[in-house]
Formats: sequence, C-alpha cells, structure tokens
Amino acid sequence: MEITFKVYRKDPEKDGKPDRSTYTVDLPGDATVLEGLLKIRDEVDSTLAFRASCGRGYCGECMMRVNYSARFACIAKVSAFTQKGPEILLDPLRNVPVIKDLVFDWDAFMWNKIKTIKPWLESTDEASEGENLIPDAVAKDLRKVMSCFYCGMCDEGCTVLPVDFNFLGPAALTKAYRFVFDPRNKDTRERLKIVEEPKGIWDCVHCFEADEHCPRGIEPTKRILAIRDLAFKVGITNEKVARHHLSFANSVKESGWLDEGRLAVETEGLSNIKGLMKLMPTAAKAIVRGKAPIPYLHSKRPGAEQIRRIFEKGEEEKK
Amino acid sequence: MKYAFYPGCVSRGGCPELYPSAVKVSAKLGIELEEMKDVACTGAGVLPQYISDPINARTLAKAEQMSLPIMTICSTCQGVMAQANYRLRNDPDYRERINKEYLAEEGLTYKGTTEVKHLLWVLFEDYGIERLKSLVQKPLKGLRVSPFYGCFIRRPPEAITPTKELSRRKNYLDELIGILGAECVDFSGKGKCCGFPILTANEENSLAMAGKHTGEAKEKGADCMVTPCPLCHLSLDGNQPKAEALKGQKIDLPILHLPQFVGLALGFDPDEMKLSRHIVSTKTVETKVEMLA
Repeated sequence: MEITFKVYRKDPEKDGKPDRSTYTVDLPGDATVLEGLLKIRDEVDSTLAFRASCGRGYCGECMMRVNYSARFACIAKVSAFTQKGPEILLDPLRNVPVIKDLVFDWDAFMWNKIKTIKPWLESTDEASEGENLIPDAVAKDLRKVMSCFYCGMCDEGCTVLPVDFNFLGPAALTKAYRFVFDPRNKDTRERLKIVEEPKGIWDCVHCFEADEHCPRGIEPTKRILAIRDLAFKVGITNEKVARHHLSFANSVKESGWLDEGRLAVETEGLSNIKGLMKLMPTAAKAIVRGKAPIPYLHSKRPGAEQIRRIFEKGEEEKK
Repeated sequence: MKYAFYPGCVSRGGCPELYPSAVKVSAKLGIELEEMKDVACTGAGVLPQYISDPINARTLAKAEQMSLPIMTICSTCQGVMAQANYRLRNDPDYRERINKEYLAEEGLTYKGTTEVKHLLWVLFEDYGIERLKSLVQKPLKGLRVSPFYGCFIRRPPEAITPTKELSRRKNYLDELIGILGAECVDFSGKGKCCGFPILTANEENSLAMAGKHTGEAKEKGADCMVTPCPLCHLSLDGNQPKAEALKGQKIDLPILHLPQFVGLALGFDPDEMKLSRHIVSTKTVETKVEMLA
C-alpha cells in the first residue's frame, strides 16, 4: 500500500530552519514506521537523518513522535496510524534540541541529567571478601528499576519538561531511586540532598504520565514519590518545601483536616515579611470574593483525636 | 441512590463555592448524601504514604460501616483515596497490619468493600446520563466549554479501575459538555497537570503550566473551562492573574467547577452556584446563560 510520510526536517548545515518533507512509498500492509523510513532513505532521499538500532522495541533509539504521540518507530505499524487519514506525521520528541531531522540531542535530553544524580554506587564498606548481599525483596525491587533501558519515554510524557527543560525528569530521578534505596549505598542523605535541589524531586507534579508512558512498568512517578516520602521521614532539606510539608502535617495532625490559610503563611515562613507580602495581592482578591480561608480560625474535625493518634503512630513506626 | 459524601478540605476552604453548589446539585438530582464529618484529609499527595494510608484506611472503613460507596467532588481526594484503597485491597498482609495496628483501637476494620467515586463517575455510571438529560432545564446552547481533567481522575490506572469503562472515563467531561447542550472545545492540555502541586517548590513552572492550558483553551475559542478538581481550580482560576503576568498576556478564561456547570444546565442561577466567588470574572458565561433564558 502507498503510505505518505510528512517528516520534520532541519539541517544545521543549511539555514537550520524547521521544514517538512513529503515522501510517498509503497509498503507491505504489516510494515513498521521504521521500515518506511529505511525505504525512504535507501530509495528516495539519502539525506534524511534518523536513529535506529535494535529494531525490536528494546533500545529506544528510534523514539519519535508519530502523529504527535511518542512511539518506537521499529514497532509502530503504519496501519495503526492511517485509519484516520492517509498521511503519517513524523516529528522528533517535544522540547528537545534537534540536531538534524529526527535526530535529537540525547545528552541534553537525558544523559546530562542522569550524570547529575551520580549514577554509581558509593559503597559503605571496604571491599569485602565474600559477596555483599542485600535482602531478596530489596534486590527484586531494585532489579525492576534497573530494567530501565533509557528509552526516554517517561521524559517524553512528563508534564513539567515542556515548561522547564532543566527539570531532571522521571528517567534521572528513577535512576536516583536505584541508589537511594540500595542498602549498600554509603550516604543516603547526601544522595537525597542532590535530588532535593531545585529541578529535582520537589519539582515533580506527580501526574503519573511517566508511569503511563513507561513501556517496562517501572512506574517512575511512584519511585519519585517514594524518594519524597523518605525525605519527609529523615528531614526535608529544601527549606520552603520543608515548611510547607511541616505545616500541612501539623494542620492535619492537630485538627484532622487542612487549614489552607495557615498553610499559605507558614509555607512562606512567619518571619519572612517579604514572602508574606507576596501573598497579599492573591489574598486581597480572595477576600473581596469571599473565598480567603482565614489562618488559624480552623475548627477541629470530630474524630480529630483518633486521627492524631493514627498520625503519630505512623510517624513513630517509620522511625 | 445514596453516598457517603467526602467533600474534602478545599471545597470549604480555598474554593468555598464548590461545597454548596455540589450539595444543591446533588439534592436537585435526588442523589442522597450522608456527609462524612469525622474523617481526615486524604493527605493530598503531600503527606507520605506511611501516614496517609492508615488515615485513608480509617475513612474507607467508616464508609464500609455506613455500607455506602464514597462520593468525592475533588479529583485529588479521589485519586489519593482510591490508590490507598487499591493497595489495601490487594495486599492482605498490609491490610491486616493496618487493621491491627491502626484501626482496631477504634473498633474499625477495613475490609475492602467500598468504592471511591467522583461525582463525574457517579453521574455516568450510577445516575445515568439519560436521566440527567431529562432534567436539563436550560441546555447550554452556544456556550463553548473546554474540559480540564487534570491528573488524578485519569491516572494512575489502578486507581481508576475497577471499571469496564476505563477508557470511557477518560472522556466523561467531553461527553458531559455535549449532553448539557454546550459545545466542547478540545485542547491538548486537558489531561495534563494544572501546575498546582509545585506551587511551593517552583512557582514559575506552576504558573507557566496554568498559563499554558488556559491560554491554549482560550486560543481555541473557549468561553470557559470546566474541571472536576478544586486544586486545578485554584491553579487555573486563582492563579490565572499571576499566570497572565508571567506570560505577559491577558487570558481571562472563567473556570467552572463541575457541579456549577451541571447546575447551570439544571436551571440554577449563577448566584446559587456562587460564581461570584471566582477570581476570574464569570460575566461572559453568565451573559451567555442569561440569553438562553
């Protein structure tokens, strides 16, 4: 069957401006997008640049956007994309520096970020004589994370990266999980500190897009949330986030539910005059509209004592 | 049709217009609500799981005691509670430990027999869309509405199931807009994050996300947006002026809570739905709705 591909083009050696080329090729009914691209490059236009390696949906090299959603070209059947119209649009990933055509900058996209989290184990002990064993359950959990093959699909799905390319992103933060939760790791707090820096775990919106995108079921969002829970337990080092979480926790612990007014002022810090002043315009608008929650004028829920008991027990057990 | 009603903190705090509009709309539809008054905040994804799971187990056990499913009007409450429900239901050892260590003292037991359902799901799956249609007094003809789902009413999948209608749940808002007579203005950001969760850690990114979604819907020609989550509302409505300042561009897109939107079609006037409490003026919506009268 005849398939028309409209492919994103950009040539840094010419003017570097994005363009689109249209190619029509004859392909068998069960052809993949990658087979289409190979045919175009072999028979129609040898200047077309794209990456591919394993050809079986394993390595992630050929990830691109097929009709605007990220796919591995090698396992994406053309027939799945021609039902609504005869043309298939091919683009590089969103918000990634493009080098040429469908080839984008993997260093900027992922590798530099993974380097930031120190992706190696710093062992607690001197080299031991025998094996340095860890419990089965832990090994099983870490193995799941280690099955990541860095396809970048989670970063592609991330909802923060489109507004801030410097966010470390789910792939790198999931890599951090692998070391944070390894009992052989020397200094967990030090590692937590790295991922608690701006652009790290606290910049994640936990939208679960990464989990939906991950072809391996590694659930990057849940890994990031687990790191956050650990940071909560041992003490959050990001000051503003720490104030926010402490205020939230105290509010629920003391009254059973959230005092939003209190949360707003305590997050800024009660002695942070500048920060509190910043709240004023929003607060003033809310007051005019009759929707500003007044801090500390907050009644206890019935059952607050039971809630407090459970809360404190939870805190206690995790120590 | 009766539910253990879990209104959540924000529907009476930062978005006090949500609680009364949800209660009025439910009453008009004949959905009976028994409010859960002695239960805790879900933790909203801020409290760590080792604290929020036992707290939510208590809420779920209380609903089981009432022999009722829970109805929420907040996607965040929905998501956090449903995730806890999933973990507890599918891990017998975990369930037993939580029961023994946390709930037994109060004489409660979590069994895993209740469901957590957002009002949006209740309307489609329990109430019935034909029945809702028959009660529409004022089809919102000519009103151009963008759906905004946000995250927790669509993801993670284990918290959305069990349902044979998983994929349909992802489109309920789109469907509802048409059912109430309005025109659905689709846009790419409808299932993305509103930006609210990172307001503390990175305000600029948070506002950029709010500005991106409201701006896109506005460009596509929406008169307003409707959302099932009050936290999305705080971000998209409450922070819209700040998002405009960051973007250097006026957006001016009214954001309606789900019950307010349903309420307008059921014939409630804007005052009853407390539209005056919004930060972004809802005048354009009100004018269009008045013209329908």
